[in-house]
Amino acid sequence: MSVSLNYLIGLVLVTGGVTIALRAFPFAVFGAGGRPPAFIGYLGKVLAPGAIAMLVVFCFCSYFKDRPFAESWALPEAVAGITVVLLQLWRRNPLLSIMVGTVIYMLMIQH
Amino acid sequence: MGIYYRMNKTILHAAFKNTLPVLMGYVAMGFAAGVLLADTLRSPWSPLWAVLTSVTSISGALQFILTGWIRLATPLPEVALLTVCLNLRYAMYGLSFIEKFRGLPWKQKFYLIWAMTDETYALEVECRAPQGANPISYCLAVAMLDHAYWVIGVTAGALVGGILPFDNRGIDFAMTALFLVILTDQCRERANRWPALIGAAAAVASRLIFPVDRMLIPAMLFMLAVFLAARKRLDPERNAKSGEARS
Repeated sequence: MSVSLNYLIGLVLVTGGVTIALRAFPFAVFGAGGRPPAFIGYLGKVLAPGAIAMLVVFCFCSYFKDRPFAESWALPEAVAGITVVLLQLWRRNPLLSIMVGTVIYMLMIQH
Repeated sequence: MGIYYRMNKTILHAAFKNTLPVLMGYVAMGFAAGVLLADTLRSPWSPLWAVLTSVTSISGALQFILTGWIRLATPLPEVALLTVCLNLRYAMYGLSFIEKFRGLPWKQKFYLIWAMTDETYALEVECRAPQGANPISYCLAVAMLDHAYWVIGVTAGALVGGILPFDNRGIDFAMTALFLVILTDQCRERANRWPALIGAAAAVASRLIFPVDRMLIPAMLFMLAVFLAARKRLDPERNAKSGEARS
C-alpha cells in the first residue's frame, strides 16, 4: 500500500513527541523548584506497587482478548502464574522464576 | 556521551542479568510488531521506519496501534489524543522518580525520563543495583538495554518479515512473569500490600466495565481516587510515625 512520506514523518513526530511530553510532565510540574507537596511523595510510594499489580491484572486480561476464556479456563495462565509466585517466594531468583514460568506457559499453550 | 563513561562492567553485568526477562519479552513482542509494520508498509524502507518508530516512542502497545493507524491513515490530531489516552500512565510513573532524579545532568535526566517504559519503570523502582554501585548508573544501564532490546526486536521483525525459525507462541508470558516477580518482592514489605491489592482491584473493576484495550486509564483513575481517599490509612510515613508514638 502507498502511504505518504509526510504522513509517516508526522506520525513519528506526534507519537514520539506526545510520549516524551507525558513522561516529562511530572518532572516539569513538580521537579523545577521547591519540593513537591507531601502527598506527591505519598502517591509515588503507593503507586509503585499499585501500578505493578494493575499491570499484572492487565496482562492476564489481555490473554483473553483474542481467544475465548472458556477455551482453556485460564488454566495455562493460572498454572504458570502461580509457579512464578511460588518459585520467587521460595528461591528469590527472578530469572529462574520467570524462565520456568514462561517455559511452562509456552508448553501448555502450544501442546 | 557523558552517560556512557560512568558505566562499568559490574553495573552493566547486573543490569543485563536483571533485564534478561525484558530481553525475551521485548525481542519477541517487538519482532511481532516489526513483522506487522513491514506487512502494512510493504516498502523496502520499512526497516528504517521500524527503527524510527521504536527509537522515538518506545512503547509496546503504541508500536502495535501505530500500524493500525497507518492502515487507516488516522488523522494526526486524533493520533495525538489517542496517544495521550494510551500512555497517560507514564505521567504517573514519573512521580516515583522526582526526588531520585533531582539534580542529575540534563542529558542523563532526559534519557531516563524518555526511555521509561512499563518494564523499565518496574526495574528502576526495584533497583537491584550491585552493592556500592551508583543506582543512577544502574538505572541508565537498564534503560539503555531495554531500549536497545525493543529497537532490535522491532527492526529484526521488519527485516525478517513472516519467516519464523521456531514456534515462539507464549514467549510474551515472560513479561507477565516479570511483573509477578516484582509484585511478589514488593509484597514482602507490609506497607506495599494494601496499595497492591487496591491496584489489582481497580484493574478488575475497570475490566468489568471496559474492554481490555481501554481498561488501563479508568483503572488508573479508580486507583488514584482510592489512594487519595484512603491516604490517612495508607501513608507509610504517617503510619511509621503513629507506630513510634504508640511503642
